[in-house]
Amino acid sequence: MTELVQLLSYPFMARALAAGLVVSVLAGLVGVFAVLRKGAFFGDAIAHSSLAGIAFGLLIGLPPFWPAALYTLFLAIALPSLKKNSRLPLDTLLGILLPLSMGTSVLIFSMLPGYQPDLISFLFGNILAVTTGDLIWLGALTVLALLLLLYLGPKLMAVTIDQDYSQITGVRVNRYEILYHALTALTILAGIQLVGVVLMNALLVIPASNVSLFAKSIKSMLIYTPVVAALTALAGIIVSAILDTPSGATIAVLSGLFFLGGLMIKKLRN
Amino acid sequence: MNELGVRNLSVRYEGQETYAIEGVTFDLPTNTITVVIGPNGSGKSTLFKAILGLIPYQGKISYSDGKNSDPHFHAGYLPQRFVVDQSIPLRVDEFLNLTLVTCKHLKAEKLNMITEALTQVGAENFHNKLLRDLSGGQLQRVLLARALVHSPELLVLDEPEAGVDPGGEKIFYDLVKKLVAKKKITALIASHEMTLVRSYADQVICLNQKVICAGPPEKALKQVSLNKLYQEDLWPHSLHTK
Repeated sequence: MTELVQLLSYPFMARALAAGLVVSVLAGLVGVFAVLRKGAFFGDAIAHSSLAGIAFGLLIGLPPFWPAALYTLFLAIALPSLKKNSRLPLDTLLGILLPLSMGTSVLIFSMLPGYQPDLISFLFGNILAVTTGDLIWLGALTVLALLLLLYLGPKLMAVTIDQDYSQITGVRVNRYEILYHALTALTILAGIQLVGVVLMNALLVIPASNVSLFAKSIKSMLIYTPVVAALTALAGIIVSAILDTPSGATIAVLSGLFFLGGLMIKKLRN
Repeated sequence: MNELGVRNLSVRYEGQETYAIEGVTFDLPTNTITVVIGPNGSGKSTLFKAILGLIPYQGKISYSDGKNSDPHFHAGYLPQRFVVDQSIPLRVDEFLNLTLVTCKHLKAEKLNMITEALTQVGAENFHNKLLRDLSGGQLQRVLLARALVHSPELLVLDEPEAGVDPGGEKIFYDLVKKLVAKKKITALIASHEMTLVRSYADQVICLNQKVICAGPPEKALKQVSLNKLYQEDLWPHSLHTK
């Protein structure tokens, strides 16, 4: 117990917990929309695709976050119009985009000389390496996303549940499609350092899916999902520090176990 | 007086060589029920979606004098199919509230509007029910309440009898007729059920890409018109059974 208290008193641990809290709350909220839209694959594909931006950043010597941010936001904004013009389902487009982006990133990484330690951290996250600067932009990103959700959330929910009817009631559906995609892209960017591109769905999709097993309304889903996501992230960070295991992987496994636990409780109740 | 005027309306979907509907012209008199009949694929849903501004069209759709051309100000809609996702814990009041997201009303006013709409369709106890727990008939009532919640002047119902048992169909149409009379609503309904069409329609439009016949039921539903509409071998099931 004293070891745990001592561990929590380290500044890097405090930063990790703060970052975990901020990102998981955001991911939990956006995840509700992802789950309601059946858009789990969208988050996964965008997260994996961001690796192309990261690789490009490393190739040209820029901080990889910015090319990754530009690339994922470009994808998020371009996808609705690509879907409209190609008349292909979003799922198919993502199935094309994911190998294209991943292939590009692998090719770029193969051009980089020597071992790439950053690659592992982008793939699976490294929350314990969060700096104060990281924490500031993570907080800013989260506040921006939360304000957007607070102000535009009801219309975004209307579009999520029924696009046609939203259009009849005067909601500009295309704008909200772009907003959702951009919010997801922002959330993924925020989560890369926490769980990495490979494990992002651990915070984006699993907590919302878990809460949906028990929720009696959309409102309760929106309240409890960020709570579950935050508890998962915080527990994952602490467990990973105690057991000296990779933080992203620990969060992902815990998230999955919580879901299985939820499923079992639901089964037993019925 | 007409609630809605449709002039030379044509829709061709992207990539298609033929028109889904072509040169459709009619008027919807205020406070009447107009039923559009026609075989599957005749363009009924396309016509409705064009009127609701959901798809691009050629031609002119005009509301009665002085009204905004945006259907948001006029129309309530009940779609042909509404699939309820069993994994979504969406409550009836939340579902109806989503229809009011563009309105400036206060929260309490919106709650009153929802209660009134549910009461109108006899679903006043449905507020806290989950959409996924409703039966087919109950869901149709809630969908009708959604169409009514914004106090529309035009009610567009695309085959509302789908998913409702035969006894429920009559109750549903009775309800619509009562609303049309009481709330000064004009209804545009697509249907295959000829018995109901004869009983409830003030005006019938026979559609098969073009308007084949139109007028009051006793005039429009003459055998020769129906033969032309359904090309004899494509008569709807209900023509034989009811």
